[in-house]
Amino acid sequence: MTETRTGAPVAPQHLRMLWMLAPAFVLLLLFFILPYVSIATMSLREASTRAVHGEGWTVSHYTTALTDAYILTVIGRTVLMGGLVTLLALLLGYPVAYHLAMSRSRWTSLLYVCVLSPLLVGLVVRTFAWMIILSNNGVVNQTLRSLGLIDFPLQLMNTPAGVVIALTHVFLPFVVLPLLGNLQAINPEVSMAARSLGASRLRTFLKVTLPLSLPGLQAGAILVFVLSISAYVTPALLGGVRGRTMSVLIVQYLVDTFRWPAGAALATIMAAVALIAVTLFLLLTARAMRRLP
Amino acid sequence: MTLTRRDLLAAAAASSAVLALPRAAAAQSTLVVPTYGGLWAQFWESTLMPGFAAATGIQPTLDVGLGRDFVARVRAGAGGSPYSIFMGNENIAAVLRAEGFFEAFDMSLLPNAAGVYPQFINPGSMGIRAIISPIGLAYRTDMVQTPPSSWTDLWENPEFRGRTGLYQIGNTGAVLLLRLVGQLYGSGPDDFDTAFAKLKELLPFTQASWSGEAAAALIRGDVVVAPVDWTEIMILQDKGAPVAVVAPQEGVLAFEQSFNLVATGTEKEAAHAYLNYLLSAEVQSQMASAFYTSPCNTGATVDAALAQRLPIIGDAMSQIRSFDWDSYVPEAAAIADRWNREMG
Repeated sequence: MTETRTGAPVAPQHLRMLWMLAPAFVLLLLFFILPYVSIATMSLREASTRAVHGEGWTVSHYTTALTDAYILTVIGRTVLMGGLVTLLALLLGYPVAYHLAMSRSRWTSLLYVCVLSPLLVGLVVRTFAWMIILSNNGVVNQTLRSLGLIDFPLQLMNTPAGVVIALTHVFLPFVVLPLLGNLQAINPEVSMAARSLGASRLRTFLKVTLPLSLPGLQAGAILVFVLSISAYVTPALLGGVRGRTMSVLIVQYLVDTFRWPAGAALATIMAAVALIAVTLFLLLTARAMRRLP
Repeated sequence: MTLTRRDLLAAAAASSAVLALPRAAAAQSTLVVPTYGGLWAQFWESTLMPGFAAATGIQPTLDVGLGRDFVARVRAGAGGSPYSIFMGNENIAAVLRAEGFFEAFDMSLLPNAAGVYPQFINPGSMGIRAIISPIGLAYRTDMVQTPPSSWTDLWENPEFRGRTGLYQIGNTGAVLLLRLVGQLYGSGPDDFDTAFAKLKELLPFTQASWSGEAAAALIRGDVVVAPVDWTEIMILQDKGAPVAVVAPQEGVLAFEQSFNLVATGTEKEAAHAYLNYLLSAEVQSQMASAFYTSPCNTGATVDAALAQRLPIIGDAMSQIRSFDWDSYVPEAAAIADRWNREMG
């Protein structure tokens, strides 16, 4: 403790600044920690058909879920689909972000609108549009048939493929926007220096631009992955049984069959899976990031 | 202008008073009545609520959602439910009933229940199924040469092979169908082994989470036949879609909206008044005109044109296959799990 001119004790500055963290802490407590504690508590209650939950406590919902081949399959499918959506969004989003960052064209603003367009339409409406496009008699299958490329319709609806396509479409902006900010912040003189030292365009991109854009790639990838594995409406409407994800299964447990303890356990397991996947990704990318200036 | 602390306090007090005004105005009744969205909510807002207020002087608050949302709110309310009257499909209401959230109606406060077909009044007055939406076999008139006339046509008509739509297990329609198939091919509505075995014969079939999704699959032509409720098909017909719905010879299924008195509610008298009004022949007729439900009151009438499109009225109400859901509640989780694993 230090003292003011009047002699009153004053906390060190870094302690006095702690109050600024209070709003964030309260927000975290109310909207994150307390709900999670509530979910975790519910997941440990016994099941009952005579009450919301039984009287006792149990870990059986966890052991049942983690030894159930069906649930493990759904978890695996959810993570796999999330990873695939992330990869596709990165592959499709990077060139767009790069072009937007480098372009001085007057049409750039139009491209911005195109990038953001998936977010400008309501979720259910957008998903219904995908149903029209991907169904057996939809635009894709009718076009392929009219071109004579297929005799029988491709099964795009009620499969993981349909969900991956629709999620990649909607989450593309979440890759493009962080990447764009990152690419725009890279000093163009760095690339120019590489070029002036004899590096080809490809080598300059691979050795200079791409590594420097890793923070944007990392942020975009985490955003898309987390959003993909927690998406509900798109897999519920387009996934069917074969494309069912954990969020759909959790809703079925909680909302359709009113199994709050078992549903809460599934939700907790999925949160843990997401946390592990994101942590692994961060660890894997951390080494590359450390080399950055 | 300098704002003093006193000015600020006065302004804050005035603002609080203004914000409290709407709440004071709405405090005429704390009865909250749940209903569904779309045509239902429109009917409640435009016809039912004003009519109920005029008839009883009670002005309830409307809460639009899904039956499952209403369950969650009653459960979360624990000792203080936001509703005094619950509405939801009978199989969903049975869950809350098993958990002790409901109590029996005082039938002396429901004089209009005297006109209700007895099959819709639960034993011990523990719930009344007051809004009936029959489910028939809907089909594409332009894609099907032999229209269905029996539930067994789902298995026997080769035109339907691989082009059938069914509700998924999260929807009451799937559970209704399981129980019907158990009755038709097995030992009864609890013969789920037979029901699953028969429904697996229909694979691959398209699964719909709700009637609108089933209707959309019909319109796209992805499926040519599906059990769908009359309301959905009538709406499609009104829009000129080439679809029809028939009542199979073995009878129809129905989404039965069960009204129950919530034990932890605070407006039980108003809840009785509300249900009594809803059971009246006049309101039942209005609902049939508005969204094609089958009136549960024997005194309700529908005009000839509507009767032609909506055949499950009057004596034909006996064609509705109703089931006891209280015995199903302990089985529900296992049935859903089994569906997930076997109907892929």
